[in-house]
Amino acid sequence: MLSQVDSTNAEAARRVGTLTRPTWILGLQQTQGRGRRGRVWADPVGNFAATLVLLPDQPPHLLALRSFVASLALYDALVSITGQAAAFALKWPNDVLLNGSKLAGILLETLPRSGQTPALAIGIGVNLLNVPDTDHLEPTALRPVSLFSELGVQVMPVDFLDVLAESYAHFEAQFMAQGFAPIRDAWLARAARLGSEITAKTLKHTQTGRFETIDADGHLVLHNDQGRHVIAAADVFFKDDAYVAGD
Amino acid sequence: MTKNNRDQDVEFIQALAELLRENDLTELEVRREYGEDDSLDVRVSRATTVVQAAAPAPVAAAAPVAAPAAPAAPAAAAPQEDPASHPGAVTSPMVGTVYMQAEPGAAPFISVGATVKEGDTLLIVEAMKTMNQIPSPKSGTVKRILVEDGAAVEYGAPLVIIE
Repeated sequence: MLSQVDSTNAEAARRVGTLTRPTWILGLQQTQGRGRRGRVWADPVGNFAATLVLLPDQPPHLLALRSFVASLALYDALVSITGQAAAFALKWPNDVLLNGSKLAGILLETLPRSGQTPALAIGIGVNLLNVPDTDHLEPTALRPVSLFSELGVQVMPVDFLDVLAESYAHFEAQFMAQGFAPIRDAWLARAARLGSEITAKTLKHTQTGRFETIDADGHLVLHNDQGRHVIAAADVFFKDDAYVAGD
Repeated sequence: MTKNNRDQDVEFIQALAELLRENDLTELEVRREYGEDDSLDVRVSRATTVVQAAAPAPVAAAAPVAAPAAPAAPAAAAPQEDPASHPGAVTSPMVGTVYMQAEPGAAPFISVGATVKEGDTLLIVEAMKTMNQIPSPKSGTVKRILVEDGAAVEYGAPLVIIE
């Protein structure tokens, strides 16, 4: 646990060489929180910022499936704390939405280690108390909310970590023992907009279609007039929202 | 069309090809009007890989080394055309999207001709919000970059050639 850190994922990268087992790094104050592709993750005190470092000795495509393990674990931790399952939903690949709004962000990074398979850093940010300023949000970003602002539930980051770490350990064990299938089923059961029209945007393409499923590799499967599209990386947007930037 | 015209056409096309090469273009398309209902449409294009300074690919006999996830290249498939069979090829360990820099606006990790050390990040392949740093398998020089920023890549796709 660190009272102040630039970013817990950056701290993970610095420490990975000395780690020999899975480790959580909790930052009580994160000064340079990062999102996907250099996006700023604003992180006022009272919110949750932590990184889990895993050393699973697996190839990259299996490491990437931790997006689903982590979002599932976060979803269940939030439901267990609030008791309000109906308020939460998952958005591909790893967003946990609260009342359809942006509560949390998860960013995974592989950390190369010489002569070994890479380690994996799973960075998780949750707006427990404060709603971040919208100043540096992209105009297309989803409305940010906090657990406190939406549900009036207050929980300290340290206590939140206890619940999340236990929830994560449960799904990680299931993933290691039984593979992706049960994770995929549980994830789909909590997914928003399954069967509805969604839009997936990459740097180069935008595809809109019916959200059919996620496949055995975790890829998003969309259906439209042009056929079936299997998408490995994209930002997902819902039709009736302000565009939802990923994190 | 007269024979004279045909000779001129050949010259014309040769001149276009020259122009293409000299100006480092990939494609040119022009229409030459001879008169009513008599014209010639010419399109000349060059097959290019995405990048620069193309080093000739070696023969397939060279055993693929270095690239940890490189699939065995089929020996029969035109080795000159398949950078994946190059012994210095670094291939994608997963399906995903390529990023050439750490974040938008930052300098690219590598450029053609750059020297890299073993373990240096060459680029990032993203799938499902997992950013995979692709490390150089050895020290050497970046001979070719076979992908562009934002490109979708398949498993085993050649990304970079390091020699």
